[in-house]
Amino acid sequence: MTPQAPKHDHASAPLPTRALTLRAQNPQPRWRRFASNFVALMLIWLILTDFRLDALVFGIPAVFAGSALVFLTPSTPRWRLSPYGAGGFVIWFAIQSVRGAVDVAWRAFSPALPLQPGFGCYSPALPEGAPRILFVNTITLLPGTLSAEISGSDVIVHMLDKSADLQADLRALELRVAALFGLSPDTEVSG
Amino acid sequence: MLEIIATAFIATGAVFFIAGTVGLLRFPDIYCRLHALTKADGLGLALIALGLALMANSFGEVFRILLIWFFVAVASATGSHLIASHARLVDRVHENDPDRERQT
Repeated sequence: MTPQAPKHDHASAPLPTRALTLRAQNPQPRWRRFASNFVALMLIWLILTDFRLDALVFGIPAVFAGSALVFLTPSTPRWRLSPYGAGGFVIWFAIQSVRGAVDVAWRAFSPALPLQPGFGCYSPALPEGAPRILFVNTITLLPGTLSAEISGSDVIVHMLDKSADLQADLRALELRVAALFGLSPDTEVSG
Repeated sequence: MLEIIATAFIATGAVFFIAGTVGLLRFPDIYCRLHALTKADGLGLALIALGLALMANSFGEVFRILLIWFFVAVASATGSHLIASHARLVDRVHENDPDRERQT
């Protein structure tokens, strides 16, 4: 599941869109999403208030209103999270965000101010919805990249150092997000 | 012992907050400044949250600290994206308007 291919392969081969959308499932019925949101939000509320029963006077209306938002938003495809992919993603995400912060802190403190800012473009093959939102949000925490704009299916990325290999970095991220949602294109990763 | 480790985490977090602020002041344009704020402050908050979680007395406290970190992280990534995309929109408007000086 971990991409071990040499670096140039990441840059050259775009992910096949069909392989990625294969396991997307039909939208969940709204009332089931309402019920699952209600349970999750209620759990958060109870832990936040240390299980105080009198706080439920505010908690129940708030949780009800929060869960009812599913009736106002368009239904999205249901995604299966892969536990193996999630574990890998969390560890990788932690390492990358430390690297990103150390990199930008070094640039900020360095007297010479080593910056070569510029814009780049990346076209993710990830499907719409949660996978793409997570992808765009995570770009900002990678070393030297910031998601600046979404233009159609492309993401415009601002780079602190425009000589960095944007395609390889973002393809690595894309594969991680795909693995997290159980979308790994088997044919691509095995090679 | 636990206090020493927690203090080390919090102190390191503070260094990253300072780095983010130095970057905000020194970097040349709005995009570079967003890099400094989202990345350095994001790790700074994570380290401070980790240090505080080590000293927390109950599971509820740890959970609340985790929740704070999570929502700040999501809001910071989304907010910086929105600021950057608005800045690009403003840049494009100014490019088409030769009389106006660019302000960044």
